[in-house]
Amino acid sequence: MADEEKRGSGTEGEGSDRRDFLKNASRAAMTAGLVGGYGGFVLVAGRYLYPASSGVAMWQFVAEVAGIEVGEAIRYRGPSGETINITRRSREGNADDFIALSSTCPHLGCQVRWEAQNNRFFCPCHNGVFDPSGKATAGPPGEAGQSLGRYELKVENGLLMIAVPPPQFSAADESGIIEDEDCISGPGHDPCLGGRPRGTDRNRNA
Amino acid sequence: MRIVRRWFGERLPISGRQFRELTNEPVPYHLKRWWFALGGTPAYLFVVQIFTGILLAFYYEASPSTAYQSVEFITNEVSFGWYVRSVHKWAATLMIVAVILHQIRVFFTGAYRRPREINWMIGMCLLICTLLTGFTGYSLVFEQLSFWGATVGANISDTVPLVGGFMKRMMLAGDSYNQATLSRFFVLHAAILPVMITLLVAVHITVIRLQGVTEFRFKDEESGAPKTFNFFPDHLYTELMIGLVLMILLSALATIFPATLGEPANPLQTPDIIKPEWFFYVAFRWLKLFSGTAAVLSMGFIVFVMFAWPFIDGWVRKHTRFQEFSVYVGILAALAIIVMTVWEAVARH
Repeated sequence: MADEEKRGSGTEGEGSDRRDFLKNASRAAMTAGLVGGYGGFVLVAGRYLYPASSGVAMWQFVAEVAGIEVGEAIRYRGPSGETINITRRSREGNADDFIALSSTCPHLGCQVRWEAQNNRFFCPCHNGVFDPSGKATAGPPGEAGQSLGRYELKVENGLLMIAVPPPQFSAADESGIIEDEDCISGPGHDPCLGGRPRGTDRNRNA
Repeated sequence: MRIVRRWFGERLPISGRQFRELTNEPVPYHLKRWWFALGGTPAYLFVVQIFTGILLAFYYEASPSTAYQSVEFITNEVSFGWYVRSVHKWAATLMIVAVILHQIRVFFTGAYRRPREINWMIGMCLLICTLLTGFTGYSLVFEQLSFWGATVGANISDTVPLVGGFMKRMMLAGDSYNQATLSRFFVLHAAILPVMITLLVAVHITVIRLQGVTEFRFKDEESGAPKTFNFFPDHLYTELMIGLVLMILLSALATIFPATLGEPANPLQTPDIIKPEWFFYVAFRWLKLFSGTAAVLSMGFIVFVMFAWPFIDGWVRKHTRFQEFSVYVGILAALAIIVMTVWEAVARH
């Protein structure tokens, strides 16, 4: 009788262990399934929303070197919408003649403008100041040492080329030299601050 | 009639008595003073925003090439479009004012103290969601200032250490403002943030119901004044009256000062003077005073302190003799906010 009781309780103990094991295993499987299923969905949603990286820079034609005078600046829009001030500084006929500076302030992304009277680039958003080589000299970018971004240039068969990020979904229109502006902002040119470049009104009156 | 009542009673087993019990919580007597009813004001204005926002969405197109034109069309062509847009704009302004006033009232009356710390933090989440809704909503107009405001806002997130770049790219859908950015702002403004605000308000009110409203007694009150009054109909009538006054005020503001439209956005030229909406003047001035990461980290720290204020205040009150510590800090903070807002409003750069 005592042996039977012992056997009985032993079987019951084993059964309860088995039940506990199955209960825990099924809980773990359920949790793993839920985390895997919904977690996977969250990852897919995150990847769906996160934009693809801009990729490797590509060379784009800007202008014929002979068409740009020393001291002249042109404003160029890249295929992904960035605006770049390209200025000719010497007459050697190679890429070192030019400097290509981003016109996007490295502080918080506003467009800088060239102030000829002060010989500087100025950002109207938070009073950032940059010298003609793009080095930050005052304001928040000056304090943080954030200079204007520089783009690589090369000259091939008399053509000026620039290395820019490949096309993105840009808010601006197509890439190329910006010609529809009233004035060009860059070292060597009249400031944009007054609207039209000097001489325009005189010509109109004439 | 009895048959109809029985039919509905069988399917919706709620009696009038149960419904009255559910809604008719005794309201503390101090809520007779209007400045204690400021919490209901943003909730009412939020409903106005949902209604006018749905109306605006019928004509609005969230694409850089058409956004500005669609806003112009709503303002100039659609019947009463100017009114709906102006009410939406003014209700947003008043909602932010009401949320700030509500928070000031809660702060200076110490209504955030134990056991209401969590509800204070839910309120902080509501404040942030309200400001973000204002920010994303203004960017949808796609005029010069709103475009550059959005650009600056997105770039601010870039200066946050570690996760900044990820946040910026998620917000802009790329490295800079592009064709896909505006629809992200639209989804945030018209779907994600309103749903979050609705859920947070539901939790906020549930916690108030669970804990009960803080009770105050004032010196000028008669000694025999009742402790509470009924939610229905007394408090409901008060809220209805506030709603009516707000609707008149909104209509007057929308008519006298209708929402304007500036120059269309030009991604190639930042305007000479750039300002965000008035409720971000403080942050904008702060960004001018300190360089990028330092400004953003210090702003983040201030927001953290605001979140944790009930615990900071509780610790100070328990371990020091400065029992009125929060009042002095509140006065200083309010003065700093007013000074920086006015400074930014009058300064050219």
